[in-house]
Amino acid sequence: MGARLKFSIETARRYPLSFVLKVLVVGSALLTLGALFFLLAYIIVNGVPHLKPSLFAWKYNTKNVSLVPALLNTLIIVGIPLIVTVPLGVFSAIYLCEYAKKGSKVVEVVRITAETLSGIPSIVYGLFGLLFFVIYLRWGYSILAGSMTLSIMILPLIMRTAEEALLSIPTSLREASFALGAGKLRTVFRIVLPAAIPGILSGVILGIGRIVGETAALIYTAGTVPRIPGSVFSSGRTLAIHLYTLSSEGFHTNEAFATAVVLLIIVLLINALSAGLARRLGGGN
Amino acid sequence: MKKSLIVLLVGVLVACVARVGMAFDAGRDINVISREAGSGTRGAFIELMGIEAKTDEGTIDRTTVEAIIANGTDVVLASVANNPYAIGYISMGSLDERVKALKVDGVTPTQENIADGAYKVARPFNIAYKELSIVAQDFVDFIMSAQGQKIVSGSYIPVVEAESFTTNRPSGRIVVAGSTSVSPLMEKLQEAYAKLNPNATIEIQSSGSTAGMLGAIEGTCDIGMASRELSDAEKEQLTYLVMAQDGIAVIVNNDNPVDNVTSDQLRDIYVGDVTRWSL
Amino acid sequence: MTMQVEKLMHAVFFIAALVSIIAVALICIFLFANGIPAMREIGFLDFLLGQRWAPMNSPPSFGIFPMIVGSIYVTAGAIIIGVPVGVLTAIFLAKYCPAKLYRVVKPAIQLLAGIPSVVYGFFGLMVIVPFIRTYLGGSGYSILSASILLGIMILPTIIGVSESAIRAVPREYYEGAVALGATHERAVFATVVPAATSGILASIILGVGRAIGETMAVVMVAGNQARVPSSILQGVRTMTTNVVLEMGYAYGLHRGSLIATGVILFVFILMINLLFSVLKRRTNYGS
Repeated sequence: MGARLKFSIETARRYPLSFVLKVLVVGSALLTLGALFFLLAYIIVNGVPHLKPSLFAWKYNTKNVSLVPALLNTLIIVGIPLIVTVPLGVFSAIYLCEYAKKGSKVVEVVRITAETLSGIPSIVYGLFGLLFFVIYLRWGYSILAGSMTLSIMILPLIMRTAEEALLSIPTSLREASFALGAGKLRTVFRIVLPAAIPGILSGVILGIGRIVGETAALIYTAGTVPRIPGSVFSSGRTLAIHLYTLSSEGFHTNEAFATAVVLLIIVLLINALSAGLARRLGGGN
Repeated sequence: MKKSLIVLLVGVLVACVARVGMAFDAGRDINVISREAGSGTRGAFIELMGIEAKTDEGTIDRTTVEAIIANGTDVVLASVANNPYAIGYISMGSLDERVKALKVDGVTPTQENIADGAYKVARPFNIAYKELSIVAQDFVDFIMSAQGQKIVSGSYIPVVEAESFTTNRPSGRIVVAGSTSVSPLMEKLQEAYAKLNPNATIEIQSSGSTAGMLGAIEGTCDIGMASRELSDAEKEQLTYLVMAQDGIAVIVNNDNPVDNVTSDQLRDIYVGDVTRWSL
Repeated sequence: MTMQVEKLMHAVFFIAALVSIIAVALICIFLFANGIPAMREIGFLDFLLGQRWAPMNSPPSFGIFPMIVGSIYVTAGAIIIGVPVGVLTAIFLAKYCPAKLYRVVKPAIQLLAGIPSVVYGFFGLMVIVPFIRTYLGGSGYSILSASILLGIMILPTIIGVSESAIRAVPREYYEGAVALGATHERAVFATVVPAATSGILASIILGVGRAIGETMAVVMVAGNQARVPSSILQGVRTMTTNVVLEMGYAYGLHRGSLIATGVILFVFILMINLLFSVLKRRTNYGS
């Protein structure tokens, strides 16, 4: 692989177009990484000096602006949508790939609606959550309203990645299983699904990433109370909303950057964990 | 490959730092920064500065359409701190050394000058309610007591010389909602109150002055907060109290040589008649 | 017994597949029921084509034409910046990147997706805005700043989906081309990438969705002026920022008009999706 990254004048003269394309490809990758690196450096330089133990106090008050309650809320608001959505998303992907007849109208409609869902902006989800969960179902600003809003939001993501993972599994694998006398369900759960787990997990990672970073869909559904919730019906802010509210009144910019660092570390941990998990499960097969 | 990455980064960093060395150019356009429609701070500012105009049909906010709209005090602060040509306005309680507060008509915005009325750009922090539960009444009593007003005096101007507060610790839940400018003060008050009366739980939602008043009218919150005068319709339906006075500081970048503006100049800048820093 | 379980699970899978249909139906019903009456009261054309947005005036004006234009400009800018870089980076990851480097680069790009938009917004405010102000003029709060920021923000989406699409292309395509004497680049760009077109298009749909729907970052760098801009160095207000700026304060018709802004945004998304699915079907026929 490494040879493909070498730039030689000789090949450049013989295949100028190829050379230009290679420069573009490598340049783009550098640009992406450069943007990431610069962003990270900016957050770390501004945030790390302000990481104080008081930020991690068990209870929030206006002096310590502790992020612990927000952190717990984030875990809950990541957890509930995943519990709701991962089975739903994977099951519907199974239906689309393994069960539905080719060219079926239902499949067509499900695909279109899933694509529609994935295009809906988070602020529109926020409006919908406010109108449906908060007002119509009378849940008020609550963890549950926020979680359900996010469940719908990440559903298409989970569905699409699961579907792509299922599709990428060679038909021969399924046929071999059938040939050995396994039924459809057994084939799906014992053969196809295990092979698709790394793909599904990558969707889960993307979903977690979206939830952790989400503000617009939560601000009008889960509310902004900086406290550990008593139940799923009380309001609670996630880390991202914590960051947003901290920064919007001008007192705590430094703490906001420190909170951003913590948030990044969490995202990094989740990613590393899931990647490790995917590698182990992927290796098992 | 690593080398080119480093070169790229250094280039961007140098470019960002380079602008600090540039001198202030008074010929450049003023970058007017305002708050969103409905913000209590904006409402108070346009009323005090005569940016709001009365017509036969009602009132019109004449703030120039070219004004940059910042959705929070910190966004205004950060924008002005990073932009030598910007002007903005924020709650005086949020003022810090990253920006310079201008004198208005020659008067420095200090707590004394606001208290004796010399600094004109000031507005009340109101709390409003329909009916108070026993515990909510206790909390309001605390806000208006000597202890409560002492907390107010931290960054704002207290409004009453009050007696010391005692409580018989009623229990219950209070929902306080409204102005994002009042919320930081309300959180401090709530913490101090919680020490005196651990039986009460107080939930603070910062949702904006208008939403707070509406919540109090509709009963979705017990106490509404507003960082502006109440409208006549709101006054009709609610009981209200002024809990503090807050100045609105007009802020510019620290590199800006301007120290003083007149109210007329301020109005002209925000209406869009004056667009250059050579005032 | 097994037959029954098979049937039961078949039904379960089917119902799961229906959830997305139900979700879309609910979203439509609740948005439209709250937005349409407000639009009718304002006047449909006055709302869509009105140039003036002054909700707090009496009498108020609710024209969102500047916001519609704003959303289109900013999204187009983000696509122009983000798509080429994103797709080329995906090609790099799938076809150029050595395995060792990949183990570092891939998680890094996933991290990019996890950075909250508020942080992007602050970054834009502190770095991109002053940069544009100093070197290109204007206040820095501009279509250009928002486009650059959104261009970066949609990268992980575009890279992720494009990369898996490129990887899903059978190896034979590439190997066949190389066997016929094509260079690595030619094999990749003339056989593998065209075969992955539908996946790459899907990544662009997701990218457009993210760009047009991004709120918290745009609100900090776009300037939010509710008027039609005449240069990319001028500020702009998008439909999303219109909602988030004023929703907290709004009540009555003002609130209805903000929900109606959400409805228009939603209709835009529907149109984009429709366009892309037509486009996608045509590509599938071609190959």
